[in-house]
Amino acid sequence: MNTSRARWDARDLVRRLCHALIVARQVVDQLAPDGYADSEQPSNSLRPEKAISETALLLLAAESAAGQYPEVHTHVERVAQRLIPHARSERIKLALCMEPALALDYAHAHICLARLGYPDTDFDILLQQSVQAQAATGRERPPHRMLEQSWSADLWSGPGTTCRRSAGALARWSQLNLPMDLLNGHREDIYAFTHALIYCSRFNLQPLRLPRPRHLILAEAEGALARCLDDQDYDLAGELLLAWPLTGKSWSPAATFGFRVLAQVEDAAGFLPAPITRLDRLHRLQGRERQNYLLATSYHTVYVMGLLCAAALLPGRAPPIHISATGAVRGASSRIMARLDAHGAAVHWRDEFDKMEHPRQDAIAGLLLDIAMHRAVRQRDFAGLHTLLQIGYASHLADSPVASQVAEMLGRVATCHRVRPVQSAATESAAQAC
Amino acid sequence: MSNRVSHQEIVRKLLETKSIDFNAIGKTVAEIGPSVALADEPWDMFCGTMRTFLRLYILNPGIPGGGVENLGGLRNVAQELER
Repeated sequence: MNTSRARWDARDLVRRLCHALIVARQVVDQLAPDGYADSEQPSNSLRPEKAISETALLLLAAESAAGQYPEVHTHVERVAQRLIPHARSERIKLALCMEPALALDYAHAHICLARLGYPDTDFDILLQQSVQAQAATGRERPPHRMLEQSWSADLWSGPGTTCRRSAGALARWSQLNLPMDLLNGHREDIYAFTHALIYCSRFNLQPLRLPRPRHLILAEAEGALARCLDDQDYDLAGELLLAWPLTGKSWSPAATFGFRVLAQVEDAAGFLPAPITRLDRLHRLQGRERQNYLLATSYHTVYVMGLLCAAALLPGRAPPIHISATGAVRGASSRIMARLDAHGAAVHWRDEFDKMEHPRQDAIAGLLLDIAMHRAVRQRDFAGLHTLLQIGYASHLADSPVASQVAEMLGRVATCHRVRPVQSAATESAAQAC
Repeated sequence: MSNRVSHQEIVRKLLETKSIDFNAIGKTVAEIGPSVALADEPWDMFCGTMRTFLRLYILNPGIPGGGVENLGGLRNVAQELER
């Protein structure tokens, strides 16, 4: 067997997916009835509809991609049975009556459950009335949210209900078809990309055609992945990693490395954590309050890992065990690491990096360069960015969206300096760099 | 200790510094308000300047919560997610 092409053990992926499904059962039992209200940190509060809808999505992804594994199927069935009364509760039905513009949003869990083999004709009749209401079009949405509506409609009534041509047009308007702001974009901008990808690829259930060639989309994903791994933002990192298994069979060295980091963190913590879960707060709580806080602040990232493992269980989509060193530039990683070590704090990805042999470290030098440039942008270290571009160019690593956006930004800063010669330490340094 | 501060807390502390001169803001609005209201496109200006006098923007807030907690500490509570 060629070990360089060996894929991640499916049993391990199944184990990780089943863990997410076990947590999902707790989410349904504890959070689906009333959500979670956090008076101390209101941003942690959770509407029950969100927990219900995301649980249904996890079930659909798990069954679609990995339903052939008996343990996955058993867990999906178990959670689905518990989810049904919440997905079709009186509250949701009343919402369909009162807010037809959000009908497909409220009915998302019902639609997923019906697709999983748990139909409800009476609920369908009410949903039909709601989506046919005049007010059903009364909510303006960004393209990725429109793609979500299109997917929900197709899941509900079968493919072809919504015109695939118009869905394809939506994909072309989405962030999936437009370069992201990889240097200063917000988390919401990355979500727009990852969600458009999910609603376009549809977990392989009649996927739409990608609006751009796969390699261009993955190059963008890789640029954002560098930032998320370095920020230890595993929610977004996991969603970005979905780009590889949801669009094809190959994983880049950087994506393979990213998956390994997430798996290592999950193994160390017992679940893939989010930064909003604070131990000091948890230790002050007891009983149901404690359990609900832990669930509400961590379930989403746990689900993301579940979705990622489900996607990786699609035929031929598992990440490789080993990072391919083919094409790596010898010594490239050490040149960049010298700069990262000089400025960086301890991060989880570094533990995984240190375990790798030098040729494999060199294979992810492009990711390291992106990380170094993200850090330099954050510090407004324009001279450092210029040096990094030089290192990247000399190592044949500069052909990336992050590097080209950095080059554009330095060009703008240089123009700014020329047209408005107000001297400051930052612009002076940038101008000299340019 | 948590390194997070709520938005309300930031606003409260900022107000307590007395660094914002609401009288001066009010005077300015009183001076330019009538002409802005009669400008060619008063609606945008009205919404933008008359309804919201002062807004604190969060410039790219980054990831919520700060950073991920110690993985060993999280390991000690991981079992609670499953029961």
